[in-house]
Amino acid sequence: MSEWAIRIKVLVISALFASIGNTIATAKSGDMVTPLEALPGLALMVVMVIVGCLVQELLEKIFKFHLPTIVYISLVAVLSSIPGFSPIADFIIREFNKISLLALCTPILAYAGISIGKDLEAFKKQGFAIICVALCTFFGTYVGSAIIAQIVLKITGVI
Amino acid sequence: MKEFFKDWKVHALCLALTIVAEFIGVKKFAFGPIKFSLLPMLYALIFGVILAISKIIKPDTMKTASPYIGISVMLLTVKMGAAIGPNLKELAKAGPALVLQEFGNLGTLIIALPVAVFIFKMGRTAVGCSFSISREGSLAIIGDVYGLDSSEGQGVMGGYITGTVLGTVFNGLLVSLLISLGVFHPFALAMAAGTGSASMMSAALAPIVEAFPEMAAEITAYASTSNMLTGVDDMYMGLFVALPLANYLYRKFTQKRTIKENKKQKLVIDDKLIQGEHNRV
Repeated sequence: MSEWAIRIKVLVISALFASIGNTIATAKSGDMVTPLEALPGLALMVVMVIVGCLVQELLEKIFKFHLPTIVYISLVAVLSSIPGFSPIADFIIREFNKISLLALCTPILAYAGISIGKDLEAFKKQGFAIICVALCTFFGTYVGSAIIAQIVLKITGVI
Repeated sequence: MKEFFKDWKVHALCLALTIVAEFIGVKKFAFGPIKFSLLPMLYALIFGVILAISKIIKPDTMKTASPYIGISVMLLTVKMGAAIGPNLKELAKAGPALVLQEFGNLGTLIIALPVAVFIFKMGRTAVGCSFSISREGSLAIIGDVYGLDSSEGQGVMGGYITGTVLGTVFNGLLVSLLISLGVFHPFALAMAAGTGSASMMSAALAPIVEAFPEMAAEITAYASTSNMLTGVDDMYMGLFVALPLANYLYRKFTQKRTIKENKKQKLVIDDKLIQGEHNRV
């Protein structure tokens, strides 16, 4: 099965799952958004992902330079959400607001949870030292960036 | 067509985990002054791992699910990217902070390398494991420069596996803790979330959005921009800045060790010489 068929299938399925999760989460907070109400936003998200991937493939074929897919997808999302520049910006802002960020994250981490098992054996074989050092890198990169951001935001008067 | 629906088990599991996780919902905990929230995404992850340990999920199901993480995360990327457009003015104001905090990614070295060298007495493995957060891009860099079967390669592979298994949980809890400390502004925390790993980013960003819902749009815009920047600069930062810096620091840190070792060797040689002289006598 081609890479594109899998990609589109999983996109549609995880959008569907996110909309179900979104319904449960929004119902709990008292302002329920049904899957049908979330549909226009999610459908547009899927289309934008596909456009981003197409742009990447095209540019890589022509110019032979590589950037991660997230850069292209983000760019498509940014450009089409600038009010006054993009004709669909208002639609995007309105429809995307119905889908919570947290609800989009849940299916992603569910897939991650399902797949982690295959790395557990290798993980058990890892020395304690490597695990500690790796956790230090996660801590360091996060706190390092946060400290710099905090200082520069203060100096430039943003916060 | 049959092949198209062959992976239904993976998706059924994903749906079941999502529904159960969302029904449990956000749970807040407090230990004295330290508060943190557990989010549905974390339950989905942990329940998946529990099912794997109890051997309910088969190895081929696990393998099938692996690339789906990368595909489903693209939807999140769109949602986050669309937060940038309406907030361009705020982002321009925060431009210097956004660009400079990218250098915070070198923070991997500051703690991890000394820990590796001085506490665990690691060799060159330390360089591979500590120069980055060991995601796919880092595997490519180390594979290219040293080969993945080298000591450096073992380091980055170990970091990769650790990140895959523990990265999201670790980041989710760390950020939750940092929020309750109250030292950092939510914007700073948001910018730091863009570290080059999509699942770690979602785990780091979610508790911030949850804790400051009134700033959700700006927070998402900052995190998204930072993540995009990291996407662009990650490879070059790793190859031209982080890895050379790791090598430089490693040499500095181990200089004393090598001098000591040389001294020891010299003593051994001296002993042998003395013994030799004795023998001659």
